[in-house]
Amino acid sequence: MARRVTRRGAWALLALAFSLSAAQAFAEDVSLEYRVKAAYLYKVAPFVAWPASAFGGAGSPFIICVQGADPFGAELDRAVAGQGVAGHPFLVRRIETVGPDSGCHILYAGGSRRQSIVDALHAVRGTNVLTVTDGERPDAPRGIVHFVISEGRVRFDIDTQAAHENGLEISAKLLVLAHAVRSRR
Amino acid sequence: MTRLPRPRLVWTKAASGRNLFVIVGLTIALIVSGIAMAAYNEQLQQAQRVRAVGVQADILASSVTAALSVGTPADAQEYVKALAANPDIEDVRVYDTANRLYASYSRPAHASGGHIEVTRRVAEKGQVFGHVYLRTEAEPLARRVARYSGVGLLALMGALLVAVLIAAQSSLARANRELEARAGELAGANESLLVEMAEREKAEEALRQSQKMEAIGKLTGGVAHDFNNLLMVASSGLDLMDRTTDPVRRGVLRDGIRQALERGASLTRQLLSFSRRAPLNPATVDLAQRIENMRVLLERSLREDIEVRLRLAPDLWPVRIDSSQLELALVNIAVNARDAMPHGGTIVVAAENHPAMDDGELKGDFVRLAITDSGEGIPDDLIPRVIEPFFTTKEVGRGTGLGLSQVYGFTRASGGDLRISSEPGKGTTIALYIPRSTEPVVEQPKPAPRGRAGGKAKGRILLVEDDETVAALVTAMVTELGYEPTRASTAAAALEALEKDKDKSLQVVFSDMVMPGAMNGLELAREIGRRRPDLPVVLTTGFSDAAAAATAEGMRLLVKPYRIEALAAELDAVREAKRLQRKGRKPH
Repeated sequence: MARRVTRRGAWALLALAFSLSAAQAFAEDVSLEYRVKAAYLYKVAPFVAWPASAFGGAGSPFIICVQGADPFGAELDRAVAGQGVAGHPFLVRRIETVGPDSGCHILYAGGSRRQSIVDALHAVRGTNVLTVTDGERPDAPRGIVHFVISEGRVRFDIDTQAAHENGLEISAKLLVLAHAVRSRR
Repeated sequence: MTRLPRPRLVWTKAASGRNLFVIVGLTIALIVSGIAMAAYNEQLQQAQRVRAVGVQADILASSVTAALSVGTPADAQEYVKALAANPDIEDVRVYDTANRLYASYSRPAHASGGHIEVTRRVAEKGQVFGHVYLRTEAEPLARRVARYSGVGLLALMGALLVAVLIAAQSSLARANRELEARAGELAGANESLLVEMAEREKAEEALRQSQKMEAIGKLTGGVAHDFNNLLMVASSGLDLMDRTTDPVRRGVLRDGIRQALERGASLTRQLLSFSRRAPLNPATVDLAQRIENMRVLLERSLREDIEVRLRLAPDLWPVRIDSSQLELALVNIAVNARDAMPHGGTIVVAAENHPAMDDGELKGDFVRLAITDSGEGIPDDLIPRVIEPFFTTKEVGRGTGLGLSQVYGFTRASGGDLRISSEPGKGTTIALYIPRSTEPVVEQPKPAPRGRAGGKAKGRILLVEDDETVAALVTAMVTELGYEPTRASTAAAALEALEKDKDKSLQVVFSDMVMPGAMNGLELAREIGRRRPDLPVVLTTGFSDAAAAATAEGMRLLVKPYRIEALAAELDAVREAKRLQRKGRKPH
């Protein structure tokens, strides 16, 4: 659960605190890094195109699933409160295990004893789910969006190949901001 | 003499004022429309500029979404910097949802002109991330100035055009005024000129009148003298005839009286000829033969100390002339030559052909008849005057001044011209150029036998004559010739007599040409020609304008005064001609 925070990263996070739009409330148990990541989690949604079949209908919720370990806590709920994308209100769902039928649009795979991050990612492969992972180690399992810390800021890598496999289109606007982009191998 | 019309000026003042008004109006309309167009253009430009700035803000808002939501201010700054490449943009700001400045760019605002400010929401799929603010200068002054300099230039040109037109207009108006003034002066000058000319004409008329009086005076001196002489001969001859019964002596006296009368007739012929209104009786003749016939006449009219030589080319062309006028001309020239040679000399009469002449009025073939004397000659300054009527160098009583006038009148009437050359002390040459005739020579009629011509009864003759004295004489003459005369004093009376002549016993009509009444002799002759085509008519006149017309119509004409032989011959000839005509018409 503990995350290593470098001194350089701390400076960057301090700078980010001025530019974030969401955080009004503060939670002592969630670090600035994760508050940023919680915001990023729903803020990437407008830049990804889901097929229409991924939604039940107009006004059906946009489900953000947090699988396993939840680093965001109430911060995420506060951030998405009253927000939505293309008329679909955000709904945060915390689950231990995920499957193809979990109804997730975005899945943050935190990993649990019952379902590791790799398994979780595997479970939704081929379904219209934007998988998000986190982790500094090079061998850490990677979803379509993978948060990294670069030059003291929270950045993300994007795996367009994986997105394509899940039937998702990533906006070029987002790709431009990505730390790294993996494309078709 | 025509009066100069006052010139009409095309550009009157009113017209030029109206034109000026139109031009100024047009120019003002042009400028106003230019300004209106510029204003409209400016408005469009402004609206378009606002749209353009809006589009730029839209682009920024759209492109900065990700940077604002999941990027960093540095990412957003990239987009802001891209916009800053546009020099018109003064201020760009990107705010997040909490209205905090996220990225910005600004440059010093331009001093002049308005600004365009645009704010756009930054959102993606309904999710709002903040807003962008964009401020640009409305339009750089330099660019606007450049844009409207065209309109300005147009307005300037229009103003310049108006100025030039006004200047041209005023100078034209001034020129017109000057022109009008000059036209007025010219009209005034013309009027005074007309007055002067009228006065001059009066003066010339007076001069002509006095010249005429002078001429009449000279005529009185010359002609009257001659007439007195011949009247003297006639009256004294008659007196002497009354006092003698000797037939020989009476015959001599009769011849003397006849000669005096012939001279009088010749004198009046000269007078008529010089006035060039003598009835010409032209015929195509052989000049050489005529001159040969005159040799004796010429020698007799000259003195014994004067020799006449004839040099006539053998192949002379025929000419169409009045033979009696020719004879008169030759005698006149010869008499002048004689008087120019008081101590005797030679007169050479030469005639030759001059083909294809081209000398002033003389164009074509001419026969030159030149009479040269060896006399004292004519001074150069007098040569042009010798043909003037009544001009004479001789003392009163010796000449009438009509001789060369007759010669000149005759040559001109024959279609030719007269050339005089003289060398004082050596002699004078007077040359008559007479045009060649293409007609054949007419045989000269043989003179009627002298003496008692009549006797044999010749039938009835209708005499038309208004003058009682002449009528009585002519009646006596025709009776003498064997005719039975019926007299009418007017043309109307003559036609009446003709109506009464049911049995067509009238053989010939002998009529005067000038008579009182509605109809003259010529018209009477025509009328008779219509009513009685077989009745011959002979006309007679001393002088008349109608005489030329009569000969032109082929009428028989006997010129007064005439002798009984001439009358007999003419009447015989006309009857013979009619008889031949009738015979020719009737088949045998």
